Amino acid sequence: MITVEGLTKKYGSTTAVDSLSFTVTPGRVTGFLGPNGSGKSTSMRCMIGLDRVQSGTTLFDGQPYEKLKQPLHEVGALLDAGNAHAGRTARNHLRWLAMSNGISTKRVDEVLELVGLTDVAKKRVGQFSLGMKQRLGIASVMLGDPKVVILDEPANGLDPEGIRWIREMLKHLASQGRSVLVSSHLLSEMALMADDLVVIGKGRLITECTVPEFVDRYTKKWVVVKSPQLGVLVSLAQTAGMHVSIGSDTAEFHGIAAAAIGELAAQNNIVLHELATQTGSLEDAFLEVTADSVEYHSHSEVKS
Amino acid sequence: MMSIVRSEWLKLRTVRSNVTLAIVAILLPLAITLLTAVFIKIRDVDDSTIPAVLLGSGTMSVLLMGVVGVLVITQEYSQGTIRLTFAATPHRSRVYMAKIILLFAVSIVVTSIVQVVGSFGGKAILNSRGFHGAVFNDQTTVAFIAMTIVGVLVSFLGLAIGTFTRNPPFAITTLVLWPLLIEGIVGGLLSLIFGEHMRTWLPFSAGLGSMQIRDHFLHLGRWGSVGYFGAWVVGISLIAHTVLRRRDA
Repeated sequence: MITVEGLTKKYGSTTAVDSLSFTVTPGRVTGFLGPNGSGKSTSMRCMIGLDRVQSGTTLFDGQPYEKLKQPLHEVGALLDAGNAHAGRTARNHLRWLAMSNGISTKRVDEVLELVGLTDVAKKRVGQFSLGMKQRLGIASVMLGDPKVVILDEPANGLDPEGIRWIREMLKHLASQGRSVLVSSHLLSEMALMADDLVVIGKGRLITECTVPEFVDRYTKKWVVVKSPQLGVLVSLAQTAGMHVSIGSDTAEFHGIAAAAIGELAAQNNIVLHELATQTGSLEDAFLEVTADSVEYHSHSEVKS
Repeated sequence: MMSIVRSEWLKLRTVRSNVTLAIVAILLPLAITLLTAVFIKIRDVDDSTIPAVLLGSGTMSVLLMGVVGVLVITQEYSQGTIRLTFAATPHRSRVYMAKIILLFAVSIVVTSIVQVVGSFGGKAILNSRGFHGAVFNDQTTVAFIAMTIVGVLVSFLGLAIGTFTRNPPFAITTLVLWPLLIEGIVGGLLSLIFGEHMRTWLPFSAGLGSMQIRDHFLHLGRWGSVGYFGAWVVGISLIAHTVLRRRDA
């Protein structure tokens, strides 16, 4: 269980994180979502005391990070897979980390096995691909068998197979009752692995809810209708005050359920060839929710 | 605490450049000393010949200990491991303390190897060339002790400078230019204006001066100079430690 309360981080006059509060529940994967530069990484660094905050607290099962005696047993955090000395072997990289928290070398070999790096354990990290470094990072997270797992953009730079591996790993960790917080700037990725969402923009909380709630609340729904008597139906709907946009041989009805349109058609003996509810993509919903909080916009529209 | 020190020791010895540096710090003065023992005219040899060469070339070892001090912290910043270190040990004072303990041990081991192997190796060579007098005296032994302490202090100073700069080349340059260039120029000016003895008020001049066999030129005497240099190092280290604790990692 992670409880973030009023987290505020300023760099000079810039406020990177602005009184951010949210919770991460055990047994679930919580997606930490926001556009680039929205303060996800900064928040994560502040949560584990790497960056000093102006105000606010983060509690891990009621304890602030600084109070944890051997924190790797409580919280496993992967902020940047590149944080490893290129000249050290993978095994030695994990060994020094393990040693500082009284974790045995036997456990080091176990986590190397867990992430599938046993064969390259004696290779220098500098020779690793990005995917291998991510795996090494996951291994370091698992060293202390922590109850809380925090990962910053773990899927960045991974191939589809690697992304699937991360996704399944996170779901597995959550299913064991751990609290998992994972950040991303891609909602599509989050929708596949997260149960809950914490969405931020410009360092502020935008919304905190489950993934289905988010879809329900923010994605647009409309009804597409095909009919030989389309004109009649559209004018009926418009007199009833509905918002309709007309295409070449279809019409899109906004703000009304498909059933209501079906009934309207039946009452007026209108033949329907198609009556379908359409849902906007999650990506569109995310873009809409965070539109006001994107730091840098491109001003030219890309037509799709 | 010991587990953190062991972790720091593992970090130090698993990076090749650190090991190379320690070996150079040992072999350089040894090579110079032993070669001197091989080629020096026997009639010029007395009981302070070998120590003088060891202490002179040992200044390099002492400065290289400072470089090791720089590297144990700047390496962490340049490679990003500092964040893992502080995530694993959020109590940053413990990390600083562990590095201090490690540097203390490494410096003592390195300077001791230089002194013991240099002295006895030099003695063996001189003996084989027909010199059978003493190769050290009370005064040279005291200078050796001072060298060991100064080596430890310089490594601490390297750690402090590295903590401020977080950047290996910048920190190493500062550490090397300080005694060689800055104190050279400032010391030169001071002695021109106020007389020769003023130079030894500069921290490095006092520290490195205290490991000379003759200490008559030291304003504060040998141990006074060691203590004076030590006070500077402790002061700078305390500031570095505070900076480390407050700063974002």
